[in-house]
Amino acid sequence: MADRDISDELQESIAQARDAGVSVAIAGSGSKEFLVHSDTETTQSRLLSVAEHTGVVAYRPAELVITARAGTPLRELAALLARANQMLPFEPPLFRGMGTLGGAIASGLAGSGRPWRGSVRDAVLGVVMINGLGQKLTFGGQVMKNVAGYDVSRLQVGAFGTLGVLLEISIRVIPKPASEMTLKLELDCLESLSKMREWARKPLPITASCYHDNMLYVRLSGAETAVLAGASETGGEIAGDLNWWDKLNDHDLPFFKEPGSLLRQMSPPAQELVNDACVLEWSGAKRWFYGDESEYHGTGTKLFGAGFAQVAVSSPAADPVRGDVQRRIKQAFDPDNVLNPELLRANEAA
Amino acid sequence: MSRKLVRRLLQRTLPRHCLITDPVALKPYETDGLTAIRQPPWLVALPETESQVAAVLRICREHAVPVVPRGAGTGLSGGARPVEGGVVVGLSRLNKILEVDLDNCVACLQPGVRNLAISEAVAEHGLYYAPDPSSQIACSIGGNVAENSGGVHCLKYGLTVHNVVGLKVLMMTGEVLHLGGRGQELDGYDLLALMCGSEGMLGVVTEVWVKLLPVPPVKKVLLAAFAQVSAAAAAVSEIITAGLIPAGLEMMDRLAIQAAEAYVHAGYPLDAQAILLCELDGVAQEVEADAALVERLLRDLGAIDVQIADDPQAQARLWLGRKAAFPAVGRLAPDYYCMDGTIPRYRLAEVLQQIESLSVEYKLRVANVFHAGDGNLHPLILYDADIPGELEKAEAMGGRILELCVAAGGTITGEHGVGVEKLDQMCVQFNSDELEQFERLKAAFDPAGIANPGKAIPTLTRCAEIGGMHVHNGKLPFRNLERF
Amino acid sequence: MQTKLPEAIVATTKGRRAEQILRSCVHCGFCNATCPTYELLGDELDGPRGRIYLIKEMLEAQKVESVTVTHLDRCLTCRACETTCPSGVEYSQLLEIARDYVSSNYRRDLLDRLKRLWLIRTVPYKRRFRRWAQLGRAMRWFLPKRLREMLPVASTVEALQATPPVSPSVAASSVLLLNGCVQQVTTPQVNAALRELLAARGIAVVELAEEGCCGALELHLGKEPGALATMRNLLDTLAPRLDEVDAVISTASGCGITLKDYPRLLKDDATHGKLARRLGDKLLDVGEYLLSLDLSWRKQDEVLAVALHQPCTLQHGQKLGDEARQLLQNAGYDLVAVRDEHSCCGSAGTYSLLQAKLSSQLRDRKISCLESGQPDVIATSNVGCHTHLAVAASVPVVHWIELLR
Repeated sequence: MADRDISDELQESIAQARDAGVSVAIAGSGSKEFLVHSDTETTQSRLLSVAEHTGVVAYRPAELVITARAGTPLRELAALLARANQMLPFEPPLFRGMGTLGGAIASGLAGSGRPWRGSVRDAVLGVVMINGLGQKLTFGGQVMKNVAGYDVSRLQVGAFGTLGVLLEISIRVIPKPASEMTLKLELDCLESLSKMREWARKPLPITASCYHDNMLYVRLSGAETAVLAGASETGGEIAGDLNWWDKLNDHDLPFFKEPGSLLRQMSPPAQELVNDACVLEWSGAKRWFYGDESEYHGTGTKLFGAGFAQVAVSSPAADPVRGDVQRRIKQAFDPDNVLNPELLRANEAA
Repeated sequence: MSRKLVRRLLQRTLPRHCLITDPVALKPYETDGLTAIRQPPWLVALPETESQVAAVLRICREHAVPVVPRGAGTGLSGGARPVEGGVVVGLSRLNKILEVDLDNCVACLQPGVRNLAISEAVAEHGLYYAPDPSSQIACSIGGNVAENSGGVHCLKYGLTVHNVVGLKVLMMTGEVLHLGGRGQELDGYDLLALMCGSEGMLGVVTEVWVKLLPVPPVKKVLLAAFAQVSAAAAAVSEIITAGLIPAGLEMMDRLAIQAAEAYVHAGYPLDAQAILLCELDGVAQEVEADAALVERLLRDLGAIDVQIADDPQAQARLWLGRKAAFPAVGRLAPDYYCMDGTIPRYRLAEVLQQIESLSVEYKLRVANVFHAGDGNLHPLILYDADIPGELEKAEAMGGRILELCVAAGGTITGEHGVGVEKLDQMCVQFNSDELEQFERLKAAFDPAGIANPGKAIPTLTRCAEIGGMHVHNGKLPFRNLERF
Repeated sequence: MQTKLPEAIVATTKGRRAEQILRSCVHCGFCNATCPTYELLGDELDGPRGRIYLIKEMLEAQKVESVTVTHLDRCLTCRACETTCPSGVEYSQLLEIARDYVSSNYRRDLLDRLKRLWLIRTVPYKRRFRRWAQLGRAMRWFLPKRLREMLPVASTVEALQATPPVSPSVAASSVLLLNGCVQQVTTPQVNAALRELLAARGIAVVELAEEGCCGALELHLGKEPGALATMRNLLDTLAPRLDEVDAVISTASGCGITLKDYPRLLKDDATHGKLARRLGDKLLDVGEYLLSLDLSWRKQDEVLAVALHQPCTLQHGQKLGDEARQLLQNAGYDLVAVRDEHSCCGSAGTYSLLQAKLSSQLRDRKISCLESGQPDVIATSNVGCHTHLAVAASVPVVHWIELLR
């Protein structure tokens, strides 16, 4: 994979933008552009592409840590890890096969293993970043345990670049399981939800579960004997498609290609369904369905399309305290509002 | 500020038994788990309700009085040490489990709930709270959040930040911050992660939502003895490279083994240069398969002795020596001084070698106890405070060890926090831009700077004073502390 | 923990001992976790670590402040902290030294002094104590509720007559049974049951004609010289009978713990030191003794589920408790699970009289823990806990001896 360090140029670009009083729009491969703008929208900011800032800085499989530059494509990262029989714990969506490490961290979107293997921020150990003042800063490190200073690295996850341009990220990785099996059970939506909750209280080797189209899918991982024992407890027949979970994560299943507004609801996992024509993930905590966002006010439901990033960063505006605190934090990292200000403008308006 | 006025306001706000003003009664509050650093507080408030906490914070804010939040006072870096003229807000009376939500596998706790009490309360449902710092019997969840506490099992189960899903924070501005709760995902900036490990400098936590996990049904403990430290270090790497994440993976060196064995007779091989303790947990089949693999790896790597414990009694015996290691080492010399650096595991043999050289250079013995799984090293420097100059030597050597950790790509503190103890070493780990960023971030929460001032983040002046942002004779004058 | 005790303190044996104990404490705070008063009050000053600090300050300043006395008085001496302590701090010995220091360097208020005097002059003397108890019973409706609750129940007071010792014709072995002062008045049925049990199995029970107090009461009130005199007195009474028995036992773990401490307390006693050690060698808790006999015991027909309350003097003081559990289980009882087993019931000798409010709060907590498993009876092994719990429990409270047949 390409090994290229353009951090000096990036730092220079930010300094220039700041001096010129203009802002920058940080971009990677563009895989998640659809979550920011609709096709027709254009940005007022200078484009700051991190896509060329690529390569693995450090990787020792026995350390369970990889440090890579933000522009490194996730696919290449995954391939490298796979050679050592390891993987990213949070299974980020690749969206059309693209997607960079920086984008995965900045967006904080995790795949189907999240309740068992942790969220994106759970895996972040350290970052090198440029703040809005153009300073290159290092927080966290390459070790699992580190309590020196505020946890600024994890604060970058889900901040969509509004607090800094990510240069390098150190991620905790996990071993690939010795064996894996996906089973499907014919259950309706409600039955699936209650089954998921029942499993959550048991020590089973589950690493993903999903209800989709009158079928409950469950993934078991671990030693072969443990997977088999788990399968006898969950029941169900073996699902044939080996890439089913990737398709789910990347929204490649037919459900995600239907016309209309795709909505994502984050909910306490056992909470009642607000729409049963849905896909359920994360043991019931993440729910997908179609409809009009305004009808689901106050249920943690958001349009998963243009404007999602703005809303994701700014939705705490519904809680004025969090809105204020977020603005003050933004101010602390980027006082001149240089980095991805459009996401924040939405914040202020909301 | 009129002190008399503030005192009167507090007296009017709190019931009599919730405010300590008698100088004799204030003395025991002058320190936490780190007794070498002391400062009597001006007053101690022991509120019984959240609204009392809010009222105390309001009075302090209006009169610019510093506030030091305190949980169980078990911290090992002086995070709860009072500040001069400040009010200690003890949260020990907010110790109720507010809710156990079995459907969503979460519990809501007041900050004074003890870590172990959570697992005890949900044990009947087959659930538990995973992070288990060594002080888990006494330390409280609010303090765990402030320190981002780890434990023996954090390689597999993570730190506090990985197991807390919601917080309610009373901010110094008078605002109340609600973060997360029953659900798993937060929108906006991850303030929850930021609060974890913030050492009480961003606000006072009054509610904590934690994740509850099913209790692993089976557990196995393996002990392996090695003739060389490097072989033991290699074994750690091999176990992880083989795709296993043990629940716990601990290492002890020869001096630590001999001390522990002499103290508790755990059956450790005395001829070993290092031993590894490996705990595996999970479903029965998984543990069986993993234990067989670990045993084979250990033998292949030249372990001179491998013991496997299946039942709780035998497991407790193997753990006994490790758990008694600190008091046991304490018996080898009148005083000891414990460090808490973290290093990448692959540098272990090399760093231990360097520590050994320092030991020769300073003529002080060092016993090493190591959370091998996550790279957290606890070297114990043995000395005798009655010998003139020996304490200073131990301190200087401790500073050198932390510098080694930073140079090896690690950090000055893995789990004990910075507090007031490691402020100087922070200057080694962070540059002035980074420290200023920390300061600006704090100001976003606490513009008046009254929340636990003077902790965790050193001022630039302090760093400048100790010499070019670099510590040569790290000053850490604390010894004889039990630090696991 | 660093200490700077003045020369005047360190020059004394007790001062040196205090310094040694203070230095062994690393201030980790584990002890607070299992301290009943810390759990109730949530104040560092009401936990062992804070009390140790207050003692250190007191000895360093050589001055007793009333706030220190308040917090030391609230300690139950349950010693749960010693069980929890990873550094082996001998807290109760430090407290003993501190209480003695308070006693000789601090003037309590009049009411407090009167209460303490009354306790020392009455409770250890069974005739006086019985007369007070009878008087109290007669006047019960005029007494405040708290005091009324503490009165021994009628039947036991009236039943107090020296039970004629049943001696088997040919004794397999013999044992000296100490009856204790309070127990003879409040729960004489316990030793009556034991005598019967042992007689039926051919074991001769030897008892003292004029048994004095073991000294526990004075010791806990910080009156060490008086306590030591009481101890010597008991040793003198015991001495002639010591050789003829295999063991000396007590059915009250509160007495047992003090008796077991005689060798330490009288270590340097020229006249009684040796005798104290001889007693120490033969002294057993009744549980240890019965288990050592290797005999089998039967259960009562009408009782099945038992909640076993472990007195602090047994589990933390003597590090025992499993014996009773085993004996009851072997006899066929179901032992229900008891939450917070380490925690004190609040009786703690004279504590229930001197710290009535805390004591009753702890009792109510304990009872809810004991009764949550819905037992038929609560069984304990100390007279203090026995009478204290009986006041508020909704099921009968017995000594576990009474459950064996």
